[in-house]
Amino acid sequence: MDEKVLLKGNIAIAKAALNCGCSCYFGYPITPQTDIGEYLSLEMQKKNLAYVCAESEIGAINMALGAASSGEKVMTSSSSCAVALMQEALSYASSDELPIVLVNVMRAGPGQGYIYPSQGDYNQATIGGGNGDYKTIVLSPSSVQECIDLTYKSFYLAQKYKNPTILLVDGLLGQMAEPAIITKNPYPDIDNSSWILDGAKNRPSRNIHSLEPDQNKLNQHILKLYQKYQQIEKNEPVWEEYLCEDADIILTAFGTMARSIKAVCNHFRKTRIKMGVFRPVTLYPFPYKRLRELSVKARYFIDIEMNMGQMLKDIRLGVLSNAQISFIGKPVGDWLRKEEIISAVNNIIKEQYASI
Amino acid sequence: MIKNFIISGSGGQGILSIGTILTNIFMLGNKFVTYCPCYGAEMRGGAVHCEVNMSDDELYTLQNEKADFVIALNQTSFDKFISKVKEGGTIIVNSSMAKIEKTRNDIKYIFAPFTQEAIKLGNIKIANSIALGVLSKILGNLTMENVKKAYEKILKDKKELIQKNIDAYLFGYNYIQEKEQIQCQ
Repeated sequence: MDEKVLLKGNIAIAKAALNCGCSCYFGYPITPQTDIGEYLSLEMQKKNLAYVCAESEIGAINMALGAASSGEKVMTSSSSCAVALMQEALSYASSDELPIVLVNVMRAGPGQGYIYPSQGDYNQATIGGGNGDYKTIVLSPSSVQECIDLTYKSFYLAQKYKNPTILLVDGLLGQMAEPAIITKNPYPDIDNSSWILDGAKNRPSRNIHSLEPDQNKLNQHILKLYQKYQQIEKNEPVWEEYLCEDADIILTAFGTMARSIKAVCNHFRKTRIKMGVFRPVTLYPFPYKRLRELSVKARYFIDIEMNMGQMLKDIRLGVLSNAQISFIGKPVGDWLRKEEIISAVNNIIKEQYASI
Repeated sequence: MIKNFIISGSGGQGILSIGTILTNIFMLGNKFVTYCPCYGAEMRGGAVHCEVNMSDDELYTLQNEKADFVIALNQTSFDKFISKVKEGGTIIVNSSMAKIEKTRNDIKYIFAPFTQEAIKLGNIKIANSIALGVLSKILGNLTMENVKKAYEKILKDKKELIQKNIDAYLFGYNYIQEKEQIQCQ
């Protein structure tokens, strides 16, 4: 089990999903995540599990809602512009409290865009495009190993909180291969017998719906959801820190970008600039609290993303006016390279932070 | 140690195959390594390249600007990636499908007619393995055991091709010794 194997991010996600008992997959092919469906179409057939290549992404996620309400462990996967089609169903799944796992391997947008890697769906995932007061849990892996670990966690959190969970993967990571260990699922199974629709034999009938004409009941429902979100925000934020303890400048990034930024950080440490890296692993719940603690000590934050500054807003909410914040970003296409980041950070240091 | 590689050519030349084989060889040697295939909508006949980044430290395996080694199996990729070779780096060019032309004097050029040599060996498809052999000769630290293991793993469904490719790899490995002086003048 603990032998390293060379795995693509997409395949790692598919393998992990099977390992933790995913019993139904619904999807529609779209680059750069098609490998997930391709792999599962072969493997799930062998294991006599449900694999459906749906007629569209809208079909796929609605099938997922149906299967989840009957207690199956469900996953669907897609990419940016097709995840946009799924937003309505995400809002329904949140209201219905259905544990579905949605993998979004990001490509470049807006609109149809193209298959270049990008991190442009931060807002789509964390804020969401569906209607009403709802939130989805969002996890962001930065390596193929984390694709495995966080797939396990996505299923666990989805079941634990009865909430849709999005695994937000950079297009680069989905397509990239690196050695990883296929670990065992470390999380326990959650008992769902109290709410699933499995036939009302020897019990009163149940139904799962989001329509609620009674104003008071609707209010109560939303308040109940918000109590759940508060629990999530209290219990589940996960982040990674690298040399942050004594840092004057903290670089922030999510996903694969955070990895090359650690190398950038090492580069500046050699020139005696006290630099650190802060990476949120859960994008919702965002680790505001820890960021605020760090911002008391650090004087400057530089946010680096492969978009035009979507996480920047959350960094600002965390840091508030405790420190200055700058941004380095690039919308699409060629990934931000280490050398580019180093020279951009250098420019910022020269222009803004001459005192360091 | 950090080493970055770009392997490039046209679809069907086995670019991604030798990319994964090289990645596997490094993995078997307990290195941190990433493999990023880059291709657009075009497959056979279109431009294909992949990046392999190897390091002793996990942090340095991603998104480097330039490569220490570039393999270019056709003219288009030679033109496209010549600027991506690091100062002091090496470009290995398939002179059967690209003009012998040196535009930079801060890098090392190795020209060899991989396609012609592959045809002579009886299979045009193994040109990629000859190129990999040449690369590994320059690298110098790949163990033959890992090379064999990597080929066996990648070609496990096409067993008849394993030995042919390993032979081609060895041919490439020894090729440069014999012809280096002529090619690298």
